[in-house]
Amino acid sequence: MSEHNSPTPNSQPPGPLQGIRVIECGHMVGAAYAGKLMADLGAEVIKVEEPGGDSARQRGPYPGNTPHPEKSGLFLYLNTNKRGITLNLETSKGQELLQRLVQDADALVHNYHPTQMSALGLEYEALARHNPRLVMTSISPFGQTGPRREYTAHDLTMWSAGGLVFLGGAGGRPDLPPLKAFGQQAGFQAGVNAGLASLGALYGRLSSGKGQHIDISVQECLVAIMENNYIAWPYDHTTPSRLGFRLIPQDVLQCRDGYIYVLAVEDHQWKNAVELMGSPEWANTELFQDFVSRSVNWDALKALLEDWLQDKSVQEVYHGAQKRRVPFAPVSTMGDLLKSEHLNARGFFAEIAHPEGGSLRYPGAPYKFSASPWALRSPAPCLGQHNEEIYGGQLGLSPEELKSLKETNVI
Amino acid sequence: MAEQLPLSGVRVADFTWVWAGPFCTLQLAHLGAEVIRIESESRLCITRRIPPAADGEAGPNRCGYFNQYNQGKSSICLNLKKPEGLEIAKKLVATSDIVAENFAAGVMDKMGLGYETLKAIKSDIIMIALSGYGATGPESPYVSYGPAQVPMSGLASLTGFPDFPPTNVGFSYGDPNGGLHGAFAVLAALMHRARTGEGQYIDLSQWETSVAVLGEGTMAQEMNGSPPQRIGNRDLYMAPHGLFRCQGDDRWVSIVVADDNEWHKLCAAMGKPELANDARFATLAGRKQHEDALEAAVTAWTETLTDEAVTTRLQAAGVAAFPALTNKELAEDQHMRGRGFFAELPHPEVGVRQHAGVPWVFSDTPCTVRRSAPCLGQDTEDILQRVLGYSADEVAVLKDNEVLS
Repeated sequence: MSEHNSPTPNSQPPGPLQGIRVIECGHMVGAAYAGKLMADLGAEVIKVEEPGGDSARQRGPYPGNTPHPEKSGLFLYLNTNKRGITLNLETSKGQELLQRLVQDADALVHNYHPTQMSALGLEYEALARHNPRLVMTSISPFGQTGPRREYTAHDLTMWSAGGLVFLGGAGGRPDLPPLKAFGQQAGFQAGVNAGLASLGALYGRLSSGKGQHIDISVQECLVAIMENNYIAWPYDHTTPSRLGFRLIPQDVLQCRDGYIYVLAVEDHQWKNAVELMGSPEWANTELFQDFVSRSVNWDALKALLEDWLQDKSVQEVYHGAQKRRVPFAPVSTMGDLLKSEHLNARGFFAEIAHPEGGSLRYPGAPYKFSASPWALRSPAPCLGQHNEEIYGGQLGLSPEELKSLKETNVI
Repeated sequence: MAEQLPLSGVRVADFTWVWAGPFCTLQLAHLGAEVIRIESESRLCITRRIPPAADGEAGPNRCGYFNQYNQGKSSICLNLKKPEGLEIAKKLVATSDIVAENFAAGVMDKMGLGYETLKAIKSDIIMIALSGYGATGPESPYVSYGPAQVPMSGLASLTGFPDFPPTNVGFSYGDPNGGLHGAFAVLAALMHRARTGEGQYIDLSQWETSVAVLGEGTMAQEMNGSPPQRIGNRDLYMAPHGLFRCQGDDRWVSIVVADDNEWHKLCAAMGKPELANDARFATLAGRKQHEDALEAAVTAWTETLTDEAVTTRLQAAGVAAFPALTNKELAEDQHMRGRGFFAELPHPEVGVRQHAGVPWVFSDTPCTVRRSAPCLGQDTEDILQRVLGYSADEVAVLKDNEVLS
């Protein structure tokens, strides 16, 4: 591990990844989320952006819906606790500077496409010559090898390639297409896989002393999370889809002021739910007597439940059910989350001010460490914010050299 | 020791069940840790009980759900309600580096296996609890099942076609997402222990890990007081962006056009130069304004072709496209097979089945699935004798006393 003691900006104990130095390159979500996971636990992450900036800066949400590269909610969220520099990796000078950064790094994570890596100086063998202890993690749509390695992709096409889109959508509506999950879920899954694989290799390096290259296929990351839907083919040759029957009585149902997620797996949970509804007569019929019959007759049951729910509030049904150990859940809106008494009691949202984006509450620690906590130490970097600190301070370039790099569009 | 893997020599006492917890420890097994699942015949993991079962024939060792997510682990049966069973569990913890569990908050304490107790047994133990709500907060005693994380996190409220209600994503996404974040957290704690000698307790809330992947959603609310609208498969910054019907029964291809240049490439690949000259579609703003007509024009082309043909033609033109694959197509996929993604090790009851394997290729310490999922209690005697030092006679007595069931 490289020895580097930066002052801790507040009195909190350092995160578990203190002293780990990470270089992150690329665009959008995959590499940035891996970098964020590490930075939020105390790693020193340098985010390397092309002079034009990470393309996530071109996506909202923006305050007042007015696009501004320093105010993208997606970018601000993904890049907390990092320092940011610009670097043109298409130039030989840019690649030389990357090599100097790598000399001092423990890990490099990127999501440049396999067809671009060589032109950008991101080949592992070349970088390992400058630092044989480097752990380099490459995220790509279909991996570094195989006939589809050159295929281009976005989040939607990956959710399709990973088999997940075929599972989503409106049940009973073959006229409508399968449906993707909101947001950049393929990117987030790539990111958390890249983060954990990188840490695995860094831990292994403690005893082996050696770095290595990790090839992460986003498609494979997604096939790995299909619940029992992928494995159904090798085991019993069935193909689940949005149109198929699901052996679980559950749905999103409308209340007076929003939606509740209704789920009762065990018989005692259903009995308690019936009690909550005031034990209506229909609940005693054979149609709903057990788990299987409630699944088979779900359409009829759903209408009866919605009739009961129409004048109730989400919160009253949720807490009433949970007090009886019935696992109903609110269908949260984003506003509900920010107001949630439970999440706020846990201090989930973390507020920090950004010079351009202003003071905002961000989703915070997804896990609480008893000895070395997650912490929001600094907001996302403005484009090139730390160029002088890192090129001048860390790499020791003179002000003249910095000026020349700027003039030649290297940084 | 055989080949050195990143987590060689790391032992995990795995009290998890269902999916989030087992998926967390699966990652550790992939990385080379010795993961020992503590099971019980009287409280079988639900994934040993639900479909798919091999060839439709039920049985605790025949279920695909369990056998997929417990590859590379061993299994011992312990009756934790008996004092001798509890004592064996504690001995196992004393020889372990990590304890993982995903019961509701407080259950491990009630069983006599809370963090403070375990820390007294093994001072540098790393313990992770993956619960639905987390260990603190007013709703922490509430009951949570994995599928509820999709609605609770807000993902359902952001997912769906316009004019449709909030829509779940078709699988229990909160579970694997929580499990992966959990594995990441455990690795970070191992790094911390390597540097400081100190173990710790990690309280992971699946609700919170589910919100963590929705940054754009909460940020929109925070910035503007309103959430992103449900827009189906569309995107605010790219068009066309959707799934388009192809030849065949319920066949669809995803297509994403990132900019005007790619739009021209798409028109050329479709053999429809007139679309490239259609002023309505010349800019992103125009394509968004006339998106229904745009999608109809693309569908008129895709529905005359197979999803494979569309994909091949568009990828050759530099436009992102891919079929909406079914599980059968994934299982038959030659690209992933060629990369060695699938794990096909013999299993005593289900034979050789094609499981999903490790989605990362390590150049120096190849992480692969090293054994198939364990049968229930398959390793009880081995762990008791080899790891905990019990004699064969002692094991026989424990068996007679129904401690190992």
